[in-house]
Amino acid sequence: MTRPAPLGHGLGLRPIYYDQILSTRPAVDWFEIISENYMTGGGRPAAMLERVRADYPIVMHGVAMSLASTDPLDFDYLRELKALAERVEPAWISDHLAWTGVHGVTLHDLLPIPYTQEALAHVAERVMRVQDFLGRRLVVENASTYVAFRESEMSEWAFVDELARRADCLLLLDVNNVFVSSFNHGFDPNEFVDAIDPERVAQFHIAGHTDNGTHRIDTHDQPVCDDVWALYERARRRFGAVSTMIERDDNFPPFDELLAELGHMREIAVRIDAESARSAA
Amino acid sequence: MKLAELQAMFQTGVLAGAEDGARVLESVKNSGQADRTTLFGVYVNAYRARLAEFLAADFPALRALVGEEAFDALADAYIAAQPSRERNARWYTTRLPDFLRESAQWRDNVRAIDLASFERALTDAFDAPDAEPLAIDALGAFAPEQWPRLAFAFHPSLVLLELEAGTIATHEAAMEQQELPPRDEGRGHAAVWRADLDSVHCALEADEFLALSLAMEGHAFGDICQMAAFRDLEDASPERLAQMLTGWFQEGLVVGAEVREEND
Repeated sequence: MTRPAPLGHGLGLRPIYYDQILSTRPAVDWFEIISENYMTGGGRPAAMLERVRADYPIVMHGVAMSLASTDPLDFDYLRELKALAERVEPAWISDHLAWTGVHGVTLHDLLPIPYTQEALAHVAERVMRVQDFLGRRLVVENASTYVAFRESEMSEWAFVDELARRADCLLLLDVNNVFVSSFNHGFDPNEFVDAIDPERVAQFHIAGHTDNGTHRIDTHDQPVCDDVWALYERARRRFGAVSTMIERDDNFPPFDELLAELGHMREIAVRIDAESARSAA
Repeated sequence: MKLAELQAMFQTGVLAGAEDGARVLESVKNSGQADRTTLFGVYVNAYRARLAEFLAADFPALRALVGEEAFDALADAYIAAQPSRERNARWYTTRLPDFLRESAQWRDNVRAIDLASFERALTDAFDAPDAEPLAIDALGAFAPEQWPRLAFAFHPSLVLLELEAGTIATHEAAMEQQELPPRDEGRGHAAVWRADLDSVHCALEADEFLALSLAMEGHAFGDICQMAAFRDLEDASPERLAQMLTGWFQEGLVVGAEVREEND
């Protein structure tokens, strides 16, 4: 079971930052794209991506695969995704443990599932079919959720860990999503992190979220909060030098603020690696 | 409960637009801090907010024209009538101009419909497929006697529109957050395409609109000159058409040229 080589510390490639990225070539190790934003035609999105990928590794992250839907897999979508991957040559392709709609409708959201044996078998089978079609191992992300279902038969972390084993896929551990869901459903986020097989984790996401008092929402429109940094630190210790990126999708700050967050992330990694080296010696 | 049944109930609840009384709530737990109605409401509210955001992003000038309140009501009506069947959110707003034309409330508001159509074309031009413009020098490869049978291919982003004459001025004022000009009910024509990675547009005279429409349909240069409709226009001559053709090349609209066989 081989994980892809770590890419380092990355950011999301978002249109608002195209000019700055291309003119300053910032010290970002890699960029993650939202796949669907480049599954259109040509023009500026395609041209900017070509220019950025000339200098940076790219990872494709999708929001529309609807892996957990009970609708049939959408092979038109998968064909488009595969064509984009052939053009972009991403280090890997990821999407979410979620569904986006049924009966041909799309709600354009990452919707929650009950953690049941039925759902586990269903999603694992679909992940395997997607992997066969794409000809590569898929990286599956835990989503933020706001409801928990009475039907659930196991914890989310047990579901995620078993899914990775059964489907032989990799995982994108979204540390912010773990934190948001842990608050919303009242579980210990450390328990989630500690339960996941380290060999399966190919990437981390971290991000900011919105605190609505009674619940938290994964909005990607705030700086990363201290609680999420602390959880990231725990994950970094457990999983090692996994490729990590910061998601920012709204309320965009000056690019330098994202670079400062990236710097903070690097400092954590350097400190943990130094501690590991000392204890090994 | 089976996963398929749960998902159908969940989606029905979101599409219904009200978390209260949704059948799926029977399967949702209260959390330590929030009741299940509030938590399911996160999905209900996010669905409407997200789709309304797509509409506002693609039709900013229409929003400025009709005002926020009317635009929000339009967005609500569109979302209610038009659950997305698009895997990619990029295409969700595409039908808004058609929705306006079909709506009893909006069908007589030609100014709004034409502005929406214009904004739709700008959005579509932005990420239409790429094609390399043909340099006008390429015409040197064709002998003069072949010219009447020359037909052209155009950039995939190019769209021609028949609009209210004031549409472009209204759009420009809205985008610059200036006071909108008074309505100009006359009819006009516009071309929208992409140049240097940005959507661009220009107003077209009636003769150029007709000639370019015919050329985009694949009619050869000589045929367009012969078209009765074109001949009926003032100042319609092979020279005028050649002048237009030069302009199309200069704007990067032409991406291919070929000689049509007589029986094409």
